[in-house]
This record gives sequence, structure tokens and C-alpha cells, in this order.
Amino acid sequence: MTVLGLLQFLGRSLHRLELRLAQAAGFDSLGPALAVNGPSVLPQPHHSSNEENSQPSFMDSIFWMAAPKKRRTIEVNRCRRRNPNKMIKVKYNIEPCVECGNMKLKHTLCGFCYEKISKETTNIRRQISVMEGGPLKAPAVESVVLYDSEKPSDADQGKRIVERNRKRPYWFSL
Amino acid sequence: MRLTLRALISHGRVARKMGLGPESRINLLRNLLTGLVRHERIETGKARADEVRFYAEKLIDYAKKGDTDEKAMKLADFWLTEKDLIPKLFKVLAVRFENQTGGYTNMARLPNRENLDRAAMAVLEYKGNPFPPLYPVKRVSELNLVNQLLKGYREEKAQMATEKKDS
Repeated sequence: MTVLGLLQFLGRSLHRLELRLAQAAGFDSLGPALAVNGPSVLPQPHHSSNEENSQPSFMDSIFWMAAPKKRRTIEVNRCRRRNPNKMIKVKYNIEPCVECGNMKLKHTLCGFCYEKISKETTNIRRQISVMEGGPLKAPAVESVVLYDSEKPSDADQGKRIVERNRKRPYWFSL
Repeated sequence: MRLTLRALISHGRVARKMGLGPESRINLLRNLLTGLVRHERIETGKARADEVRFYAEKLIDYAKKGDTDEKAMKLADFWLTEKDLIPKLFKVLAVRFENQTGGYTNMARLPNRENLDRAAMAVLEYKGNPFPPLYPVKRVSELNLVNQLLKGYREEKAQMATEKKDS
């Protein structure tokens, strides 16, 4: 039960294993390899036998570990594997996007439509970075995006004009 | 008898724990807020966007006091790590939201990120930004079949009503 007892047991089992291996190989573990062959089994030190008798199966019994007693049948296995808490939940909040018809979740933006918007935003930002010419040069004025053949209106006076070389996309109304 | 410490119960605590601690959380939010003021539309995790929203709107409320105000300038200096955005905050964003009392930001949830983590993402923007709108503007086209039929029906009804009046 103690750590010391466990270590002693392991030491003894290793010692026993070593002796058995040496006997199997024909070596005399207690003498040099070139010496005259004496008796193959030399007298063991006495203290080891005494200790084994005093604590008989106490230390050896500590080596029981938990293991399944019986094979789990396929019926029991199926019950566990197909239990509702392990199955993937069905989503009832999917609906088609009004604009593009792809499926989307009710509380979320449509991925396809957002992808379009995101690409156009990156293009606009690229144009802005070209206009600014370097990092940390944000101007203290509003910006407005104008596409091909579009003129700035009265509301766009005093704003920075970001030009985009394409016609206005139908989903980006003024 | 009180069985748990008040510190272990989080009833009514509004601030989420993020990053490595309270200071780390503020630093994270400060970076996000700087990005938001610079780009006016950012994509982050849902929880982070929700946290930044409060600070973004408070910053605008303080910016509306004007750049001569000591406290407003100190806050802007702390929260915006890129100093070329301080004039933008006071001259562009505060002016844009002059006539509104609150609700300067829009937050919308996005589909989960494509990575292995499948993180819940959200897009946060200041209203009135120059980019394409997140929600499509509803346009009712008169050239639909249904709308044309309805138009015809309304005209017929009007015609019959005038005929009845005459007769």
C-alpha cells in the first residue's frame, strides 16, 4: 500500500526477471563471464525470501486494475451510440436568402451576399490605400464611392471621392 | 446562511472575460476600436464585436463634446492607438452623428468562420459608412407580373367607380 512497499515490490520483480533471463541465456549473473562454470543457480540472498513470506499476496494484489468483465453486446453498444445526446441536432432555422436564393440561418447574414459585399469593400479599401499613399494617413473628411461615369452630387461637396473603375453594382444603390 | 462567495456568482455582470485578464481585455478592445474607427467596418468574433460596441458608442458620445474638452481628448488619446484617427473621430464621426442620441453602430451576425474552430463571427460598422450596405435595400419593382396585374385591377376599379358616378 505504501509507495516504499510498491517500490520494493518492483525492485524484487525486476531482480527476479533479470535472474530468469540470465539463466535462460546460460550466464552466471553473479560471476564474471570468463570464470569457471560453477553451479548454475547460486544461493540467493536470504533477506529476499523472508520479505516475500512476511507480506504474502498483499503487494501483488495491488496490481489489479479495472477491466471489463464481459463483452458489451451490439444491442447495448447501439443504445449508447445512437442515444439522442450523441446525434447531430436538426436545425429548423434555415431559410432561403431573399436576394440570391442560397440557404442562410434566420439570425445571420447570407454568406453569398456578404461575400460579394466583402470583395467590393476590399477593392474600395485598396483604392483608398492607393489614394492615401502610405500608412497612418487617414484624412479628417468623409468619403464617398463613385463608379464609372458618375458625377459627385450636391451632398458630396467637401467629401473625398473614391473612384472605382467599374459600373455600379445593382446591390449598391446610392 | 451564505454558502458561496459573492465573487463566484456573476448575476448582472455585463463585462465578459476576454484575453489574459482585465488589462488584456481592454487592450484587445482598444485595438478593435482603433480598427473600427479607421475602417468603419470590421469582422470579428461575436463576443468581441458585442463588447466593442459599448465602447464605440461611448467614444462617440464623448467625441460629441468637442475636441477642446479635456476629458474627451484624453479618452480619444487613450482609445485610439493610431493618432491620425483622432482628428477623424472629432471632425468626421462626431459630426456625422450630431443629430442622433445613440445607435451609432450596426452589428450583424455572419456565418461561422471556415476554420477548424468554426467561430461565431459578426460584422460591426458605424452607420453612414461609404461601403455597400449589409442589409439589402428593399426595392419594389413595378415590372413584376403580380404588380402589373394589381396595377391593372386598381385602374379597372377606378374606371368602374367613375362610370358609376357618371351614370
